[in-house]
Amino acid sequence: MNMSDTQPSLKRSLLYRTTTGEHYKQQDGGMLVAQFSANDAEQAKRCGLLDLSVARRTGLRGKNAPSVLSEHLPGMANTSVIQANFAEQLSTGEWVLRLGKTEYWVLSSLTGTNASLDALDQAASQTADCYPLYCQSSHAWFVLTGDYISEVMAKLCAVDLNERVFPVGKIAQTSVARVNAIVVKQTYQGIPAFSILSDSSSAEYLWLAILDAMQEFNGQAIGADVLTV
Amino acid sequence: MKPSQRLNEPMGLLIDRNKPVQFKFENQLVSGYAGDSIASALIANQSWLMSRSFKYHRPRGPLTMAGQDANTLIQLGGEPNVLADRQNISQDIQVRGQNYNGSLENDKDAVLGYFGRFMPVGFYYRSFFKPLGAWKKWEGVIRDKAGLGVLDLNFKPEYYDKKYLFADLVVVGSGPAGLAAALKAADAGATVILVEEQTILGGSLTYNRFDIEGKKAQTLRHELLTRVTEHPNIQVMTDAVCNAWFTDNYLPVIQGKRMYKIRAKECILASGAYEQHVVFRNNDLPGVIMCSAATRLIKHYAVKPGNKAVVLTGNDEGYYTALDLLEQGIEVAAIVDMRAQAQDPILFASVAEKGISIKQGATVYEALATKGNKHIKGVDIRQITGKGQVADTAELIDCDLLCMSAGFMPAYQILCQAGAKLSYDDAAAEFNLSGLPAHLYIAGSVNGIYSLDAVLKDGEKAASEALNSLGLSTEPVADVNCDKKVNYDWPIFSHPKGKDFVDYDEDLQAKDIVNATRLGYRDIQLVKRFSTVGMGPSQGRHSALPTARLVANATDRSVTETGVTTARPPFAPEKLAHLAGRIFDPYQRTPMHYRHLELGAKMIPAGHWQRPAYYGGAGERDKCIQLEADHVRNKVGLIDVSTLGGIELRGPDAAEFMNRIYTFGFLKQPVGKTRYAVLTNEHGVVIDDGVACRIADDHFYVTATTSGVTRVYREMTKWNAMWRLDVDILNVTSAFSAVNLAGPDSRKVLEKLAPEFDASADAFPYLAYRETNIQGIPARLLRVGFVGELGYEIHVPAQYGEALWDLIMQAGKAFQIKPFGVETQRLLRLEKGHIIVSQDTDGMSHPGELSLGWAVNRKKPFFVGCRSVDIMMAKPMKRKLVGFRLPADSAKPEEGHLVIEQGEVTGNITSCEYSPAVKAIIGMAFAGIEQSEPGSKIGIRVDGKMLQAEVVSLPFYDPKNSRQEL
Repeated sequence: MNMSDTQPSLKRSLLYRTTTGEHYKQQDGGMLVAQFSANDAEQAKRCGLLDLSVARRTGLRGKNAPSVLSEHLPGMANTSVIQANFAEQLSTGEWVLRLGKTEYWVLSSLTGTNASLDALDQAASQTADCYPLYCQSSHAWFVLTGDYISEVMAKLCAVDLNERVFPVGKIAQTSVARVNAIVVKQTYQGIPAFSILSDSSSAEYLWLAILDAMQEFNGQAIGADVLTV
Repeated sequence: MKPSQRLNEPMGLLIDRNKPVQFKFENQLVSGYAGDSIASALIANQSWLMSRSFKYHRPRGPLTMAGQDANTLIQLGGEPNVLADRQNISQDIQVRGQNYNGSLENDKDAVLGYFGRFMPVGFYYRSFFKPLGAWKKWEGVIRDKAGLGVLDLNFKPEYYDKKYLFADLVVVGSGPAGLAAALKAADAGATVILVEEQTILGGSLTYNRFDIEGKKAQTLRHELLTRVTEHPNIQVMTDAVCNAWFTDNYLPVIQGKRMYKIRAKECILASGAYEQHVVFRNNDLPGVIMCSAATRLIKHYAVKPGNKAVVLTGNDEGYYTALDLLEQGIEVAAIVDMRAQAQDPILFASVAEKGISIKQGATVYEALATKGNKHIKGVDIRQITGKGQVADTAELIDCDLLCMSAGFMPAYQILCQAGAKLSYDDAAAEFNLSGLPAHLYIAGSVNGIYSLDAVLKDGEKAASEALNSLGLSTEPVADVNCDKKVNYDWPIFSHPKGKDFVDYDEDLQAKDIVNATRLGYRDIQLVKRFSTVGMGPSQGRHSALPTARLVANATDRSVTETGVTTARPPFAPEKLAHLAGRIFDPYQRTPMHYRHLELGAKMIPAGHWQRPAYYGGAGERDKCIQLEADHVRNKVGLIDVSTLGGIELRGPDAAEFMNRIYTFGFLKQPVGKTRYAVLTNEHGVVIDDGVACRIADDHFYVTATTSGVTRVYREMTKWNAMWRLDVDILNVTSAFSAVNLAGPDSRKVLEKLAPEFDASADAFPYLAYRETNIQGIPARLLRVGFVGELGYEIHVPAQYGEALWDLIMQAGKAFQIKPFGVETQRLLRLEKGHIIVSQDTDGMSHPGELSLGWAVNRKKPFFVGCRSVDIMMAKPMKRKLVGFRLPADSAKPEEGHLVIEQGEVTGNITSCEYSPAVKAIIGMAFAGIEQSEPGSKIGIRVDGKMLQAEVVSLPFYDPKNSRQEL
């Protein structure tokens, strides 16, 4: 079933016509593929790709961004200073990405209410020298999973993303298939994964380019449930 | 085709005798085994003739059996110029020879060989260029005679791609040096990629004999390969060609249909050396091959290359070859050693004990041919009496195989690309390499090391150097020496009747090279270009050394002074498909893209974007545009303007920044107001424009042109790196999706869309900025007048873009809303006289020429380009952008057509369209300043005819702007 066959919500991934699946679900005001097929779990371990563009994320930057982050994101309390171009998963499930000296993005845990992200946005817009970023709208969010993620990315990206030199938590701000992208090494349910955040207007192009690169490894789309269930 | 005969195992490393394969060569069925190359399968069937030479159409068979020569270029199905000694056979492939007229066996053009004296080197340069245009006629004839294979024009592109690889160390070549280097480095913890051109690892260990007993190579190869293949730090790539070296060890490696782009911290080239041929008459006959080619045929393919052989050598390798031949039941009629004596007396004695006749200080002066030069049938042997000189008396020996080895030439091409220097050592009669860049090392025979033990040590030495550089070792690196001499110093024996080939690819004989120097081409590079030596597919692998020697001798210089020609990438022929690979051609879509398609839009590119030009068929352009324009003028229309650039400027200095970057004043721009913003560069040229919205005292949202936003953002961040103002600059182009709702009924649509929003003229006047919520979608509203009607730009977060479109179209149904495209928008804004930067401007347009003086604040102290704008606007203007009109039934000028006055070009058309509102053809054009006043006439050349257009004041439509300010 194609997502465009379902009743669309106001908030839509720019990819929603391209993605298909067996089950869909509401996520943060939009619809995403919950299950692509019954084989999602195995596929995710091997080579899977999913679109989390409607899932909640936010960003902020400015001199006061670190203090806003630590004050309004509860999970930051137990976290040491994150180095630039590194990401860390908080005890509350969110991933905090430090993209520059004063720039941070926060990816939701996919399971919570995102109240902390809402509070963060609110605080950022009301704090001097702290500017909210529009990464929810400006960037698509894909997750590439499985044992072959480095091999797939080697066909698309000039940065060495092998586990040996690119461990969990590392970030590359680079070009993927000639499109600017932020690549974050993560694990979801113990499965190695790259979050790929890239210009939303190129989402369809990049999605198809990654799927094409995955063919060699029998890769295919998966649903989001495998990351959380 | 005679039946296939194979030697017993363990010969035949590459073939699988359990998998027979059949294919067709010249329509004859040929049998072979999986793993056979086309050449080995043919020779196993006693078929040596594979192709014809380029110029004289001489019969040719393999020379190296390693893909290093052009003698085996064949046509494989629809693909020409495939190397028969590199291409494996597969079931039912169709193979043909190349470069013949008639049949491969009976080539009508073989007669050309008899007219060689009338076709000296460069003859076609000098013969066919007069009279003028003659070359055009001759070119086809010459190309036809040369053959060159046949392209399949119905070929369907196949899937090729590229991939990056990363390693601490790349070792190119898996001979003994490469294997030793890879193992040492991997043992020390380095990640290693081992690249091998052939299908199996081992290099010379797979075919060369390093000891009299003939066991050392096999034992050593087995030991090294076991360790390499089991080593977790070594990634092996076979059948992979490293085709160049680029700075910082960036190596393109081609394997199958993929080009790998390898990034390595360190690189060791253990690429070996090319065995060299001896120059004598008929040295190109099928059956005359390198010693290593004979042993490759035997050991790789279990093919017996002949029944009675002669070995011509300038080193001890020939003796080992003789032993190999003898072991496989091939009679060795004689070893002809060009040297006075062998270097290894034990080896010499061992061979002599076998009863092989050894003729020292002698050479083959001529190979004798069977009818039609199809194969060798014997040799004419003479004593050497001096440099290139032989005795008058000859000894004739019958044979069907001649194996030769004049020495070795290091595989220098990739190293010279990397900046290494080639120097000739007169004592050793060989080239060596020096001056390698940092992090690049060489080992083995490419480094002039030939004895096996020394080769292994040299590989380890290179690995030690790499490990030290990687910080994985600190052990001292000791030099490796080798006194084995492999090159004979003058293996060139010119024959008065010629056909003593220096370069097989181009049929170049020794006299051709010498004659080139006599014609004044003394420099090796000029010799190359005049004679084409080294320019064929084998790229001088065998011709470079004898050419250097011949040119040095003819010009009375040393070989070092003469040098060799420049080696450039690629090292081996590569397909365009490899370079192209999987093409990444990014495109961008607005959130409403598929809605436009559903509505039947004719899409056009706008940079990486696709935009609707108009809604309708391609053949109805003018009609659709005029209907859409009419609808906007009279009812209401909707256009997707999501591709517009968007930049946010936030912070205490945002207004100051805006004031410095744009020409207008922005310090006093009220919050909730928009203002036209023109951007000039340091030369005072208008490079972009947009609308600046002041959202708060410290917050601006400014639009930019679709194609210009990247540049604008770059300029802004560049300038602020210098100004260091307290402002945050963010490109939000993709974050917002936007539409322009325009037309007299647009307010009604907006009111229905957002009932709680006060859209009245008082609450939301022209040029105001507001924010609201449209049925749950946060929206920014700009009152703009680009198309000259009451209109609203509505900007929303991109993920709501399609929903916004749907909601507006739904709300607008009652008002007969229709979408309109970019082409329609261009007409509408043209009627209003609004410029589009980059369409109505060029790289020299300053604000004065564009009548944008009103948008330049001359009172403020600075903006980017202000000084230049002042200077240019103070000078008398030579041209100006003007509006013009022509009668509706006139020919319509196109953009780019010239404006001409008294024979001089004074400008060009920038925009032109038929306007249903004005009922005339209207346009804008740069015109000479004398013709720029309304009422003047400008001459426009359209399809060779001159039209006289009337210059009119702008805008063409609604000059009081009453419609947009409703």
